[in-house]
Amino acid sequence: MGAVIRLPSSWYPTDSVDEWGRDAHLIERLTPFAAMRWSVDVGGAHHLPKRSGALLVTNSWRFALNTIYSAWALSDATGRPVRFGGRSDIAPFGPVMQRIGGLLGSPAEIGGALRAGQLVIVSAASSAHPRRAGAVDPALIAASLAAGTAIHPVASVSTPFGRAARVEVGQQVRVRVRQRPLDDVELAGLVRRQIQQLIDGAGES
Amino acid sequence: MHGRRVLVSGMGGELGSLVASLLEGEPWVGAILGIDVDPPRRRLRRSEFHLIDPSDNARIADVVTRFDPHVLIHLAVWEPDARAGTTAAKRLTSQACHSILAAAAEAPSLESIIARSGIEIYGRGRGALTRPDEDAPINPSSTYGRMLLEVESVARDVGERAGVGVGILRLAPVLGPHLPSPLGRVLRQPAVPFSLLANSPFTVVIDSDAARAFVVAAAQGATGSLNVVAPGAISTMQAIRRGRRLPIPLVGPEWLFARQISYLLGAPVPEHVMELIHRGRLADGSRLPTVLGFAPRVTAHEVIDRLYKWEAIVRIPTMQAA
Repeated sequence: MGAVIRLPSSWYPTDSVDEWGRDAHLIERLTPFAAMRWSVDVGGAHHLPKRSGALLVTNSWRFALNTIYSAWALSDATGRPVRFGGRSDIAPFGPVMQRIGGLLGSPAEIGGALRAGQLVIVSAASSAHPRRAGAVDPALIAASLAAGTAIHPVASVSTPFGRAARVEVGQQVRVRVRQRPLDDVELAGLVRRQIQQLIDGAGES
Repeated sequence: MHGRRVLVSGMGGELGSLVASLLEGEPWVGAILGIDVDPPRRRLRRSEFHLIDPSDNARIADVVTRFDPHVLIHLAVWEPDARAGTTAAKRLTSQACHSILAAAAEAPSLESIIARSGIEIYGRGRGALTRPDEDAPINPSSTYGRMLLEVESVARDVGERAGVGVGILRLAPVLGPHLPSPLGRVLRQPAVPFSLLANSPFTVVIDSDAARAFVVAAAQGATGSLNVVAPGAISTMQAIRRGRRLPIPLVGPEWLFARQISYLLGAPVPEHVMELIHRGRLADGSRLPTVLGFAPRVTAHEVIDRLYKWEAIVRIPTMQAA
């Protein structure tokens, strides 16, 4: 059977979805709109691994969409897709979030992406203050430890009305070679403190 | 290693015929015997075939016992609305896995079982992993997924009872030029419905890569579960666009009518294909190359492109007497 219709090909390429459902072309199309809201300055991206997977943990402020603008800005800075954890699984929001790089927030999903060598950014617990890091979920740290990937603290600072935003990636968190019980809990606390240090060092955005 | 006797259940299907034809070219394979309810779909030169209904336990036991296989490749899995409707597919798959696997368990020379499964077994319920690997929890959410769970359970039980290794190949939806596939039929319609709210990504695998995976797994006596998926992924809308079909965006209740119309047009949309369209279907296939040293070569995009190039009807000229 021959072609039924012929649509213009440039507005929606037919090969832009990757193996996790992220649509690089859609992100490219949405970037100008995102730039109207955020002008993101990225620092410390050289700390991130060039090829292997890594868990990035950032602070979260209610409704600030820290993980989304951080993931996009870091993708741009590193040239690698950076995925963000915590997408919804209900249509239409879930599929849209998946297309812009979202993963489910479950440790199993994040662990699977890390084992597959992906850069994944997740948020600490949401806080009411934009410059306070909330608690980090030890289950996500455990998933990273199980996958054998690096963990990096990331500070993301933005303001409710201004465009200026900053994403600062910290050095890899040192992990004991020999794991002990409650290491993930201790590491979660350490990551939270390091995020807070990065926020404090980032200055006013 | 030479002269291994290989039993292929489901040899009459396109995948089974393809596996048998590949086995005929393998140096380690001796006799090949096939069982199915349909005759093989391609010319096989040295395979022996028995047309047996899966419910005929006595005859299956007799044929399998006399053949005494070293390797069983169990492909007798009926995907709903591919070769049979959902009810018949469920019955045939269940009967075949119980009768053939149970008969093979009694074969004294049996060394390995390689069984066909699918990534539908992981399920796509709410909160299901986007791209499950082989260790992901199994929670099938469609009839086909539950059928595959039964096949895997029976294969593992039989393997344990017989003391032989069991390899499970979980295939992405298989597409091929002559392979009956409900997904392929839906996508090849002139107008294809898709979920406007989801447009979820999925992956597939071409029949030649799937067949090669079975042959390699059988040669190496693979054990454990392995996902067999093509590299890459594609969304429903992108697949429709690649085929230059008319996309019909649907939101909710109109799916009832769309399924009925599609059924009347000869392309029924079974539960697991509906699930694929609404929730997507991806899987991590990175373990296969590390375990078997083989990976599917044809990407998901290429499979979809080929799907639209395959002829609907292949006309073979009348043979002339010499």
